[in-house]
Amino acid sequence: MNDLSITEPATKIAVRNLHFYYGGGKPALKNINLSLGANQVTAFIGPSGCGKSTLLRVLNRMYDLYPNQRAEGEVLLDGENILSPKQDLNLLRARIGMVFQKPTPFPMTIYENIAFCIRLYEKLPKSELDGRVEKALRSAALWDEVKDKLNVSGLSLSGGQQQRLCIARTVAIKPEVILFDEPCSALDPISTAKIEELIDELSESYTIAIVTHNMQQAARVSDMTAFMYLGELIEFNETTKMFTSPAQQRTQDYITGRFG
Amino acid sequence: MTSHSISDSADMAASRSRADALASFKTGDTIFQWMTYLAAACVLLVLGGIIVSLFFGAWPAISTFGLDFLTTQRWAPNARPQAVLGGLGPIYGTLVTSVIALIIAAPVGLGIAVFLTELCPQWLRRPIGVAVELLAGIPSIIYGIWGFFVLGPWLADTIEPAIANAFEGVPILGALFDGPASNLSIFNASLVLAIMILPFVTAIARDVFSTVPPVLKEAAYGLGCTRWEVVRHVVLPFTRVGVIGGIMLALGRALGETMAVTFVIGNSFRISGSIFAPGTTISAAIASEFAESRDLHQSALILLGLLLFVLTFFVLAAARLMLMRLERKQGA
Repeated sequence: MNDLSITEPATKIAVRNLHFYYGGGKPALKNINLSLGANQVTAFIGPSGCGKSTLLRVLNRMYDLYPNQRAEGEVLLDGENILSPKQDLNLLRARIGMVFQKPTPFPMTIYENIAFCIRLYEKLPKSELDGRVEKALRSAALWDEVKDKLNVSGLSLSGGQQQRLCIARTVAIKPEVILFDEPCSALDPISTAKIEELIDELSESYTIAIVTHNMQQAARVSDMTAFMYLGELIEFNETTKMFTSPAQQRTQDYITGRFG
Repeated sequence: MTSHSISDSADMAASRSRADALASFKTGDTIFQWMTYLAAACVLLVLGGIIVSLFFGAWPAISTFGLDFLTTQRWAPNARPQAVLGGLGPIYGTLVTSVIALIIAAPVGLGIAVFLTELCPQWLRRPIGVAVELLAGIPSIIYGIWGFFVLGPWLADTIEPAIANAFEGVPILGALFDGPASNLSIFNASLVLAIMILPFVTAIARDVFSTVPPVLKEAAYGLGCTRWEVVRHVVLPFTRVGVIGGIMLALGRALGETMAVTFVIGNSFRISGSIFAPGTTISAAIASEFAESRDLHQSALILLGLLLFVLTFFVLAAARLMLMRLERKQGA
């Protein structure tokens, strides 16, 4: 999990002086500065409403769907500012995939859920498409469970399977970064363990950011942890340090369960 | 001890009054149950009553013409020695006007609904939504007048000749758009119908589109889908059942619409291959002739009404069947 030999990974995403507003009034994110290392898992923890999910939604500009929401500052993906109005959103979201809190299979078959996403970007002959679908399902550890029922609705799967289908779908379009927004909060412990294992495997090929309410989960899966509170980044450090000797009193209080 | 016995008797009194209350609730519940049964039975009674009275009214025509009524085009209530009455013209007109109206209104209505739910800036949503609702509130006689005095002449003078010229010599389509342009035509009636059912398609589609969970749309956008891809692959499949239901409701309305159509269709029982020629529909035929009809003529008009009833029933049944098959295919 924490390979200590990699101490200084290359920066994949750099957030600089980021402020975010849901409308007028007070900012939901205040002056956030942090970097996501390439092929690292960065966990975001903090009490509800602290801005973790908001930060994630800035990284793929999901907030753009809603008028009145705006971000100030810079988010650099490989050195380029993705908050610039010139940024092509469809392209950005192909590079930065997202898995949501609730499983969101599309109303189509399991096969189509994956194939549809691939077809958005590539025109492939059927045989090659089949191969890509299988590969995506395998990389989400779902293939063995669904290989005999690829043509049934994605909605007929269990919650944990649906969530892995969503991960497979995200992986299928070959993103560089995957954002997980509390991916296990609607799942049972066994499914959660599977997803965590998966995140660990995926971190070999992808840069991962995960929002979680589960401190043990953050400790288990992540290399770096960011603790946020009331829209501010309180502490950002290596996960092992964060959970053993946090620098800030507030971090200490939160991870020991004294508030939040 | 004393305090204990007091609380005991208080308990007993409380439990007795609770039993009384429950008993009175039970009576109320039984009455309520029967009232709902009665309400449900009313629907069946009314429906059955309408079918029976239509059937008895239509019986003389059924026994005289039999199945020939469905295939005969001639409508001559004053023929000697006996009236010759065939329903093919009105049946054809009803189906053709409704289908054309649907072909025009369904895509436009869905387009408005998509615009309102997905693309429209917030400040424009209300005005457009209200405008669509107002369209539904216009009485059908107004549409009739407008179709008669404004739309009809405009179609006949400019649109119809242009289309006829464009398709001249093209097989099938040439015949469809052939013939002298006429103020009152099947085409005119179809357009008026399309405008009339547009608000229904729009309102229902907008309501069902807004039931799509935002997170599902975000998931699709999160994969880099364009707005068109989100609508085509996520919103429409998710809301398919509701959308088809809305379109069928609109079709039901188009089939039965009377006043506006009677104004603009021209009331000709002869079937013409061209949609620019006058025609008639079942409801228009009944509305324009019922007052002066007697005996067999009147019975034939009632038979037309019965046929419209059956037609609408089949449309709704077909819609149900289609939805059931879709659901089975979806595997949900």
